Amino acid sequence: MRSLLKRRRILVVLALFWLLSIHDRSSAQSAHETDIAVVVNDDTPVVDLSLAEVRRVFLGERQYWNAKLPVVLLIRAPVARERDVVLRVIYQMTEAQFKQYWVAKIFRAEVTGPPKIVYSNDLQYELVSAMPGAIAFVDSRNIHPGVKVVRVDGMLPGDKNYPLR
Amino acid sequence: MMPKPLFFVTVLLFTASFAKGQNAPVAEQTEQIKDLLARVEQLEKQVAELKANQAASATLTPRTADMPVNPPAHAEPYARKPEQVHEHETQITQEAARQLETHYPSLQTRGFADADFSSTDQKGADSGFNLGQFDLHLASALSQKISYFAEITVNAHPENYTIEMERSFIRYDYNDYFKISFGRFHTPIGYWNTTFHHGAWLQTTIDRPFMVKVGGTFTPLHFVGVLAEGNIPSRGLGLGYNVGIGNGRGALIARPGDAGDVNNNRAWVAKLFARPAKAYGLELGGSFYRDKISLSAGPEFREWIASGYLTWTKGAPEFLAEFDNVNHRNIATNAVANSNAAYVQFAYKLPWLEKTLKPYYRFEYTHMPLSEQVFTYQPQVESIFGLRYDISSFAAFKSEYRYSASHPAQGGHPAMPAVNGLFFQTAFTF
Repeated sequence: MRSLLKRRRILVVLALFWLLSIHDRSSAQSAHETDIAVVVNDDTPVVDLSLAEVRRVFLGERQYWNAKLPVVLLIRAPVARERDVVLRVIYQMTEAQFKQYWVAKIFRAEVTGPPKIVYSNDLQYELVSAMPGAIAFVDSRNIHPGVKVVRVDGMLPGDKNYPLR
Repeated sequence: MMPKPLFFVTVLLFTASFAKGQNAPVAEQTEQIKDLLARVEQLEKQVAELKANQAASATLTPRTADMPVNPPAHAEPYARKPEQVHEHETQITQEAARQLETHYPSLQTRGFADADFSSTDQKGADSGFNLGQFDLHLASALSQKISYFAEITVNAHPENYTIEMERSFIRYDYNDYFKISFGRFHTPIGYWNTTFHHGAWLQTTIDRPFMVKVGGTFTPLHFVGVLAEGNIPSRGLGLGYNVGIGNGRGALIARPGDAGDVNNNRAWVAKLFARPAKAYGLELGGSFYRDKISLSAGPEFREWIASGYLTWTKGAPEFLAEFDNVNHRNIATNAVANSNAAYVQFAYKLPWLEKTLKPYYRFEYTHMPLSEQVFTYQPQVESIFGLRYDISSFAAFKSEYRYSASHPAQGGHPAMPAVNGLFFQTAFTF
């Protein structure tokens, strides 16, 4: 009787471990599907952009919000998830292609410099709220006050078919 | 000793758990690692910034009489009030923002260079190594809306080197729809001339097509004057334009009128292109160029150049196609000649080796009528088979086999026998 109880206890513990390992993975997976929000400085006159327009802005083909307000592109440094999403969805380029793209763009005299590289999310928020015309991609789970979230194709992060995830 | 059934159940559970782990996509695990690394990096950076700021404020704060001479190392963090912490964070942000701020003038330089080897069966031609163009590019923002760009090349010749100012212009941006530049440009005719400029590393192939060959005459590569450019409001069509007026070709038609117009007659160029939003990577466009040519030998010609192109540069396949028609009319005799040149280039990034290998093929066709009086008579067809290998993000090896022959309409032209050649190049940017 005692040995049977012992076996059951062991089985329960093992099953618990197994379930936990599965749960860990599934929760990690859901974290990876977090939406990436497009945020701009509060004074930037834009609330809704199509994905194609976001692409044009980040490709440096649209460089001004209006005649007085130039676009300031901010992008996270390599390894950050926001950058991965931007490269995959917006640029549709690898890291190497992205670098080559900006070398060519500057060489063609279409821009004078590449996007500004930002090393942390906090800094990115501070810069977007401080720099007029700034636009950046941030994790939608942690939107700070002082920035404006832009609708992409009419959708906000969390919406069913939101494209940036 | 574990009883048999229990042992089996244990093994089963472990196997199931292990198998589940194995089934999890590798990409997902890499993502997790990346996220963790990013988080660690971010925290490390914040700690470093806080330490640096703390040290800086410690050295900058003037000591007062009532301040302890050697405060305990860990005393300050506990003593700091929330508003002080906020002040420190603000200082960090301000410092970072200052670093990211654009200072004027902000000069950026970049160079391109290449080294080549060629071997052909052309009579009298020697095989061997040669130094390609050394190309220096400068870009400097002078203010939020004013920029200066320059491109300078150093070219190797049998007896010396020559330095050439390829581009030098200042640009004033009003907005996305209107930007105006003054100086020397690459003429916005077609695609190649204003996309790759003199950066051999940027182009897939070793050499430029005949119509835009360095030192060539088929189209005017350079333009001295004023150029307006910008986007055209067109929703998803992605229309853009270039319109320019300048000196046009010089007495030597390969050169623009750098030091002045040779015939007091301005040339003009207009280009319209589209980059449709729904076909990211596609570009198509057309351009017209009008000029009066005054050759040093005497005769004068009216020149009309019409050009069109279609390109696809996104993704593994690459496709470039361009066509130019050059119309010359002798002003004295009204004799007209139409020369045309075209190329079609295919390339495909192979899926292996991180897409570093790109085989390519280009076919070129140049037609010149016997009545052509401005150009040296050189109708030809050329086929190029090549392979590009990107050894790093900024350097590439290229190898090519080329076959060129006189235009079929001329038959076996004795002055232009078919030529086979092997070419190698390493091109890079620095």
